[in-house]
Amino acid sequence: MSRRAQENVVIAVLAAVFVLVIVLCQDFGPRARMIPLPLAVFGLILAAIQAVWQNLRSTDELQMDLISIQERSLAAAVPESGKEGKGADRGTAFRQELGAFGIVAALLVLELALGPIPAVFLFTGGYFLLTRHYSVPAGLIYTAVFTAATYGLFFVVLEIQPYHGLLAPLIERFH
Amino acid sequence: MLEAITSGLAALLTPQAILFMFIGVVYGLVIGILPGLGGVVAMALLLPFTYGFETAATLALLLGAHIATIWGDSVTSILFSVPGSAKGLALCFDGYPMTKQGQATRALAASATGALMGGIIGAVFLALCIPLIRPVILALGPSEYLMMALWGLTVIATFSEGSLMKGLIASVLGVLVAFIGTDVVTATPRFTFGSEFLLDGISFPVAMIGLFAVSEMMKLAIKGTPIVDRAQVREDSTVWQGIRDALRHWWLVVRSSLLGLWIGVLPGVGASVAGLAAYAQAAQTSKTPERFGKGAVEGVIAPDATMGANEGGGLMPTLAFGIPGGESMALLLVAFIGLGVVPGPEMLTKNLDLVFSMVWIVVIANIVVTVIGLAICPALARLPTLHANLMVPIVLSVCFVGAYATRSRIEDVVVAFVFGLLGYLMDKYRYSRANFVIGMVLAVMIERNLHISLTLYGADFLMQRPIALAMLAFVLITAALPFIRHVRRRKRARIGGDAGTGAVL
Repeated sequence: MSRRAQENVVIAVLAAVFVLVIVLCQDFGPRARMIPLPLAVFGLILAAIQAVWQNLRSTDELQMDLISIQERSLAAAVPESGKEGKGADRGTAFRQELGAFGIVAALLVLELALGPIPAVFLFTGGYFLLTRHYSVPAGLIYTAVFTAATYGLFFVVLEIQPYHGLLAPLIERFH
Repeated sequence: MLEAITSGLAALLTPQAILFMFIGVVYGLVIGILPGLGGVVAMALLLPFTYGFETAATLALLLGAHIATIWGDSVTSILFSVPGSAKGLALCFDGYPMTKQGQATRALAASATGALMGGIIGAVFLALCIPLIRPVILALGPSEYLMMALWGLTVIATFSEGSLMKGLIASVLGVLVAFIGTDVVTATPRFTFGSEFLLDGISFPVAMIGLFAVSEMMKLAIKGTPIVDRAQVREDSTVWQGIRDALRHWWLVVRSSLLGLWIGVLPGVGASVAGLAAYAQAAQTSKTPERFGKGAVEGVIAPDATMGANEGGGLMPTLAFGIPGGESMALLLVAFIGLGVVPGPEMLTKNLDLVFSMVWIVVIANIVVTVIGLAICPALARLPTLHANLMVPIVLSVCFVGAYATRSRIEDVVVAFVFGLLGYLMDKYRYSRANFVIGMVLAVMIERNLHISLTLYGADFLMQRPIALAMLAFVLITAALPFIRHVRRRKRARIGGDAGTGAVL
């Protein structure tokens, strides 16, 4: 997907959010919607102007808009992410982004399923092993020390109430 | 008064008070560095241990911990763009770019020195202003608070370089996100979609963990190299450079400290607003505002000086009227009750030595924090050079556990995840994350004070509140300043260009 198409998707999603806010505001009383409603309308107008503007400009100027285009001559160079990459590069970048998203999603799923401490142990240990940053014994030792430190700090010293995860009832049944 | 000053200091020179102060400071630094936890958590956790000890020692423990969290917050903001709490947000804007440029030691040292200078200025002014402040506080109302919040919004232009329109859209989005939850004025659930969890709204620390920390770790995972790659960027800054920076910008420190003191005095405004306001005034008064957001040391010094002084300011209404300046001061009030101390006008007559003990605690705790901070700066500055394969799992894990720890609700981890993705996309498509958070922080204050102003004074509340009107004029002038400067620069550039052309011709 070209940079312009991506920018258009983003601005369309934002416009949809502002429309949703406007619709939801209709259910609120006059006081409760006093600020959100005009603000969402303002946001929608801004999104519409930005959408029109970014489609009228060249790809290199996608970082700019109607107000700031005059600053072009004085502003710093266009950031690298704004430049069109080649098809292959874009594919690699997308896969890397998907990988990063997967890493964070994996930690989230582990936390939800098992609770924070087992998730920290599995995630950190798994990351060290998969990236082969450390040897297996060293990775396991560092993981154990880090998990113990996290547990001690948050759940022993600070006495945060632990969460046992969505799988806890299932594990309890086996007990 | 002199007797009260000396007896206030003498009360702190007992072994118990000295030990408690040191424990409080070290504990506060650790809590401050943990994401999601700030001064309020530090004080709340210490509260049960405060009964049965000397009054001065107890206050040294509580205030020492609270003051230490300020610099603790700054450390992670500067090194990893992970704000420990809402207060540390403004430090991410220039502190993190400095780290990426190999200037971490300098940034940390400037931050510690700025906080020390701010803390001392705040404490001195606290001591001097106690008798004068009462009529000033009583003269201000919700309309004036509304104007202060609007002033905070003027910083948006600073973070919108390249696309002011996108910057504005980001702040509108931030304001709308802040409205998720029960409306404090009408008790209407807004944008909650029937979720019980969302009735409490989105937690600021959790949102910031997601927007800044999680998204930065995603970027690091993609990059696969350290935040600071020593092969490309050398860490050649020193502690002394940072100290010199703070001393060189002494006037900025004084201005920021007075601003912090002032915001601290106003009940309910909070240090997060103070940090942003300090950043705004530093950027707006700078001769080179275009450096802000790219690693300007003034962007580190100003928020830290403000937050250092903010504590002194926060003590003023707490001691003089029993009105807490913020959440941490409310906890201090609880501690006062446990110690049998009644805050109010009598504090300034019967318990003046205790008041000065607190002034001394602010000064001494700031000095201890700075000494420890400056000593560990070079070691801390090495952390961003750790490989991404080590940083990503450790920081992500701590961030998610920190997100859970803010309210002991697992849903907050999901919020951190969602905001992490949002932060990544905003950064990728150049929608300013800073503007988003500024909108989020100031939205509730703006809405609440607007409603109260309308109820108290009607639609023409500005006409009835001349101070608010004057403040509005000030807000408009400061908002217009960047554009006026820009026009002037363009004119100058055009004249320079013409002259150049003339020379060629």
